Amino acid sequence: MPSFFKRKKPKKSSDNHPSQSFDSSLTANLDIIKQKTGNSPDVITRTLKVGTNPEIKIALVYVDGIVDGQSINDFLIEAIMEKHDLGDLLIQQEAFEIMAEGVVTIGSVKPVRDWDELFSSLMSGETIVLIDGINGALSADTKGGEQRSIQEPSTQMSILGPQGGFTESIGTNTAMVRRIIKNPNLWVETMKIGKVTNTDVAIMYVNGIANDKIIEEMRKRLKRIDTDSILESGYIEQLIQDQTATTFPTTYQAERPDIVAGNLLEGRIAVFVDGTPFVLLAPAVFIQFFQSVDDYYTRFDIATFLRLLRTLILIISLFAPALYIAATTFHQEMIPTQLLIVIAAQREIVPFPAFVEALIMEVTFEILREAGVRLPKAVGSAVSIVGALVIGQAAVQAGIVSPAMVIIVAITAIASFATPAFSMGISIRLIRFGFMTAAATFGFYGIVLGGIMLVVHLCSLRSFGVPYMSPLAPLIPANMKDTVVRYPWWAFKERPRLIASDENLIRQGEDQQPAPPSDRGMVNSRTEKGDRNEP
Amino acid sequence: MSRRLFLLFFIMISAVLLSGCWSQRELTNLAIVSALGIDKNEKGEYVGTFQIVNPGYVAGGLQGGAGGQSAPVTVRKSTGDNMMEMSRRLSTHLSRKQYFAHTNLLVIGEDLAKEEGILTILDVLDRDPEFRTTASVVIAQNGTAEDVLKALSPIDKIPANYVLKTMKYTEERWGENIDVALHEVITDLISPGKEPVITGFRFTGDGEQAEKLEKLQNTTPEALLQADGLAIIKDGKLTGWLDGETAKGAVWVLDKIQNTAIIVNWKEKKAAIAYEVIRQQTNVSAHIKNNTPSISIHIRAEGDIGEVTAPVDLTDEQTLLKIEKKVEQEIKKQVDNSIRHVQKEKADIFGFGEAVHRSDPAAWKKWKHEWNDLYFPELQVNMTVDAFVRRSGLRNKSYLSEVENNH
Repeated sequence: MPSFFKRKKPKKSSDNHPSQSFDSSLTANLDIIKQKTGNSPDVITRTLKVGTNPEIKIALVYVDGIVDGQSINDFLIEAIMEKHDLGDLLIQQEAFEIMAEGVVTIGSVKPVRDWDELFSSLMSGETIVLIDGINGALSADTKGGEQRSIQEPSTQMSILGPQGGFTESIGTNTAMVRRIIKNPNLWVETMKIGKVTNTDVAIMYVNGIANDKIIEEMRKRLKRIDTDSILESGYIEQLIQDQTATTFPTTYQAERPDIVAGNLLEGRIAVFVDGTPFVLLAPAVFIQFFQSVDDYYTRFDIATFLRLLRTLILIISLFAPALYIAATTFHQEMIPTQLLIVIAAQREIVPFPAFVEALIMEVTFEILREAGVRLPKAVGSAVSIVGALVIGQAAVQAGIVSPAMVIIVAITAIASFATPAFSMGISIRLIRFGFMTAAATFGFYGIVLGGIMLVVHLCSLRSFGVPYMSPLAPLIPANMKDTVVRYPWWAFKERPRLIASDENLIRQGEDQQPAPPSDRGMVNSRTEKGDRNEP
Repeated sequence: MSRRLFLLFFIMISAVLLSGCWSQRELTNLAIVSALGIDKNEKGEYVGTFQIVNPGYVAGGLQGGAGGQSAPVTVRKSTGDNMMEMSRRLSTHLSRKQYFAHTNLLVIGEDLAKEEGILTILDVLDRDPEFRTTASVVIAQNGTAEDVLKALSPIDKIPANYVLKTMKYTEERWGENIDVALHEVITDLISPGKEPVITGFRFTGDGEQAEKLEKLQNTTPEALLQADGLAIIKDGKLTGWLDGETAKGAVWVLDKIQNTAIIVNWKEKKAAIAYEVIRQQTNVSAHIKNNTPSISIHIRAEGDIGEVTAPVDLTDEQTLLKIEKKVEQEIKKQVDNSIRHVQKEKADIFGFGEAVHRSDPAAWKKWKHEWNDLYFPELQVNMTVDAFVRRSGLRNKSYLSEVENNH
């Protein structure tokens, strides 16, 4: 590393706040706060006067908008004003204990030791209480303000199951999981990451089910993070993943509390980040990205069908254009004669080789997709009309592409959106271009080569030490029950062996398979006497 | 480290780029040959006729596809002293590379098959990785392969498909012709105990007219290709034809009958009952007694009554047994005629030699060199036929019996 990089390295920025102790003068303290917050108008200072002789000034400092105004009014201002003998009591040095124990009627109150702590609490929505003549401060938990209410998740929809998705508030999010797993063993550890943003990050796991080594690894990786800001869980994901040279996601992003709960019970660890509805789950395995919550809520036969369908979707979205290119430019003998003639007729006026044709269509589609995500709602329909024309009718009529290619690109696009996990869908889309190139260069041989490289790569990946392809590779027959084929719930005896703690693998009792009652009379008293069908 | 990574990357990239795309063929550069015809001209050269699909005109209704305005195929001719030369010379007047992977039909001119035989021309087709040996082989009866390939066809736009499908369905429904693949012909050619048979296709009507697209607009095409007869090939040369019922008899022995109709007389009325064969099994076995081989054929046919034009009481068991007997006689007659005819041609197309080979390999070794000329024509053939009437369609007694009673 050249030395001039080192010189540029910023000094440790701990001198943002003065760490000296508080002044005993209220105005001096308030001045420091004002100066440090740059006179920001949303930092509100409310000064109260209590007692008559002597008259003592008490200041409440809070940031407008992130506090609950109602509770400041009811439990701080009113409580202080109504306590008439407060002035006498506060002369003593234990003023803050008196305040905390006898005056403030708010849930959580704690003394503040230094300026760092004061600003940290102030900025996270707490109200600071300062008293004139006493060098110290008190923080009262008045977090609140406007928040998005719980709504349906926007990316992970399901037909069955709970419909609430996470919000931007970390407290709400952890609470939603707590409501599902009502168990004291559901442990949460919090930390602040990001030197400037001071983002709240919480890791959640079920003690006794999660593997201690993985929890320790997770703590270690989170503590390693030294960055100025964490704005979304994607920041964390990129800073803690095992291997960076891959397009595959090695942590799972969940937007639904039931996904998080289900994964916690399989021994995974959840990382909540304040300010985003996406919760990270680790360790993540490949097969997990092709599972959806619906699979677990429907019966196993339907779930298995859906999973087989998703396997087909994976194959289509990965290989369809590549196979088309390879078959039409290298292996024309593989196509049935009639179909070949039809395809040849369509290609007759197309001026490009099949690969270029496919590339044009794929890139056009990617542009449309990207535009579709970004564009304002008002122009949405305009883009979809133009898109439908460009990618379909007009391109075909202009002789730029053949109708068969439009079909291939369309089915591929739909398949890639049918992948339940968005992050997996987009990485498959990226790899698809590689396969198209391989197909255009070597035909089926190239696709097979690419396929081998892909499998080798997938097998080399780890997520928090857990092989990415498990339980397929290494093969763990006991855990194969929840892969491409989903066994019925009564057959799920074990948690994933490589993820959950070794001591607590069994998740349900023996003999869970349901059966009809042996006595038919239990259901219908008319058949109680004999097992007859007559009325 | 980064140097090594770069080197690795460089090697991988150049491996991809240097090898290039040597086997890449864009569809627009391929001339899809749907059928290949081979004749011989007066100079003794091979004349190849290539029926090349014109995709735009086959798949009509597409963009730029002027379906119907031009012929769906174009036919090109080329000559050469051997097949390869002939095929390559075609490139002088063809704008695309011929592509044989979809050639499903091989037509051999009758003159070529008679005079020079088919042995020499098949090697290149067997050897070429592109040409499929599953392609069907037919012989142009009374004409050249060129005539067959030139003719346009109604309904199926590609004439090769017309020939192939005609052959397939006539084999399935009528049983006078069989669809023989190239690899079967080659197998039969090299087997001393069996000679190949190949279906013949013949032109009916005016050959000149068949080439014209507008003639297809008539409801009755003036010229049409028609499956007709089975060619008997002996030592690679065409020696004779089996037609009509003798051809059907041969197909019976070859165990290739799938469905057919057997017409029998009833009392005084000719062709009164049509028996529809739906299932049959023919077993051929050889017996060697006193150092002379004999063949026994057992045919077991099952079928329905397809048509009755005389008042026959089909509810009567005895009647059914009588019908079965008549059907058996009819089948026997057909097969007998066929075998006698083929024995005169001295070409064992039935594979009796192979049956002898199976039952007595040691004796076969002595006989196989003179099998066709000495033993096969003198072969004693015993035949048993079992026919069963399984159903009589939707009716049992025909309404004709009612009509009879009323008079």
